[in-house]
Amino acid sequence: MSNVTYASINDDILYSLRPPGKSWFASMAIILTMLGMGIFAFGYQIRHGMEGSGINNPIGWGVYITNFVFWVGIGHAGTLISAVLYLVRAPFRTSIYRASEAMTVFAVMTAALFPLIHIGRVWNFYWLIPYPNQRLLWVNFKSPLLWDVFAVNTYMSVSILFFLVGLVPDFAVVRDESKGLKRVFYGIISLGFRGTNHEWKHYMRAYLLFAAIATPLVFSVHSIVSWDFAMSSIPGWHTTIFPPYFVAGAIFSGCAMVLTLLLPLRAIFPGFRDIIEMKDMEAMAKMILFTGAIVTYAYLIEFFIAYYSGARYEKALFWFRPFGDLKIFFFLMFFCNCISPLPLWNKKLRTNVYALFIISILINIGMWMERFNIVVTSLAHDFDPYAWGFYKFEWVEMWITIGSFGWFSMWFFIFVKIMPSLAVMELKEALNPPLRSAQHE
Amino acid sequence: MSNQFSGVWASYEYLDDFCNALTELRGSGFQRLTTISPCPRHEISHALGDPQSPVPFFTLAGMFTGFSIALTIMTFMTLDWILPVSGKPVVSYPIMGPVLFELSVLFSVWFTIISLIGLCVKDNRAHAFPEGKAWKDYRRFTRDRFGVIVPCTQHDLDKVEGILNKFQAEEVNREA
Repeated sequence: MSNVTYASINDDILYSLRPPGKSWFASMAIILTMLGMGIFAFGYQIRHGMEGSGINNPIGWGVYITNFVFWVGIGHAGTLISAVLYLVRAPFRTSIYRASEAMTVFAVMTAALFPLIHIGRVWNFYWLIPYPNQRLLWVNFKSPLLWDVFAVNTYMSVSILFFLVGLVPDFAVVRDESKGLKRVFYGIISLGFRGTNHEWKHYMRAYLLFAAIATPLVFSVHSIVSWDFAMSSIPGWHTTIFPPYFVAGAIFSGCAMVLTLLLPLRAIFPGFRDIIEMKDMEAMAKMILFTGAIVTYAYLIEFFIAYYSGARYEKALFWFRPFGDLKIFFFLMFFCNCISPLPLWNKKLRTNVYALFIISILINIGMWMERFNIVVTSLAHDFDPYAWGFYKFEWVEMWITIGSFGWFSMWFFIFVKIMPSLAVMELKEALNPPLRSAQHE
Repeated sequence: MSNQFSGVWASYEYLDDFCNALTELRGSGFQRLTTISPCPRHEISHALGDPQSPVPFFTLAGMFTGFSIALTIMTFMTLDWILPVSGKPVVSYPIMGPVLFELSVLFSVWFTIISLIGLCVKDNRAHAFPEGKAWKDYRRFTRDRFGVIVPCTQHDLDKVEGILNKFQAEEVNREA
């Protein structure tokens, strides 16, 4: 960041907040079409029931729960980058954390939709909340599904607050660089922040605490999501390695999504190239390599445990995954998650934007396949051959899935145009301050 | 303290000049300083000798509150309508772990944010800010300038202005 100054950071951020151009509107039209089709499909499902989804007996959890786990996983990297990397003072965090946090918030907002879509009668969603209902029954606190309600809602609240707290000083920057109605708007949402020593003192202490509190939350949320599966007795689910396996997978997919979003952002706004440097992208690639190795190890150890435990239902299930009716999903998962990141061991490829972008897309696909494998193949092949089943995709769930990508992208596109997508205050903090003594050297 | 401002405010381009001015001002007996900067800098905190923020106490209070609420609702609801599950104890503490943790985190975060806002408002109200046109039109403190506000009596205006100029302030304004 040798050419970067306090003032140039403001200018680069303000450049990204200029009124959107034709390409933004064209992209938004595609995104809204995807979202519109998703809403139409959801409306169809409300009218006709769950026949539009591939859910059947015995596969009661299908694409919707796959999507839920996938989006919660995507939502992991943002808080990891903003909280964990803040605590360990990782230098590559500063330039990428704002967009990653936004990604987290929008991904968890997307994930939170899927349990509601999955329950079918969405208007009864409040049965999940502990409230004094007319039958005087309470929710069952022994169920991991209820733990998940608490975990995901807490994670969403904390992620949103962490995101907004980080934005307040940057809104003040935009306020002071704007005129007219824009100034009024950013004046309101910056809560009168001025950057006084009193404000910074409380702000920095609170931010550090946020990071410290959010760090165990990162690890707890996907562990609790994994207990939705691991607490049951179904072969392929009932395993103790699920929490670390899920957490590593979530960080793996989240880092890939960060690259998928940041590489185009860096290409669209020229000033961002000085700030989001290639070494930051390379650091993300190294995190992908590390977490990808853990994920690959978890895949292999699952097979080993199935063999070594002698449990015949486990063995049957792990034979079914690579050689059964749904084998295509297993091999796609294995290729995308275990093979496709391997070129990143080469520094040339790790620092090549095209290679990084393609690999990040493949990992996103692979991680969706992983969740599909876990959710569906286990239910399709449990203890009793009489109860085995097959999953057939239906158009409603496909469009709702595509719609979820539209929903996520819509928020991200709006974010890029109304909020500073790089953290102005922290970028300035990371720079060498302007010193008269440095001018004389 | 009255919020009617009387004193001097100045802006600086360089951080080292700025911190030297702060140190000299404090050494001359001007302790109620307010600084404004584009980002937090340890150098400024050290020059001001600011005490630690009390925010962590509120965070801790939030954690205890969340923990207590979680424990209470789970115990009460479990006993209010007994729902036997697989021969497990009716009130089972191990299964409370996730909800205890999540609500402790949730409440500590909310307490932190409410205390942050409250403490910032309280501190800003306790310190008077300039009200002149030059102050209102000046917008570079969030861009690339460091600012200091020194409340003082009419009698000290020249002295303060002298200190600020000694360390090459870019702009010095007095309001009385």
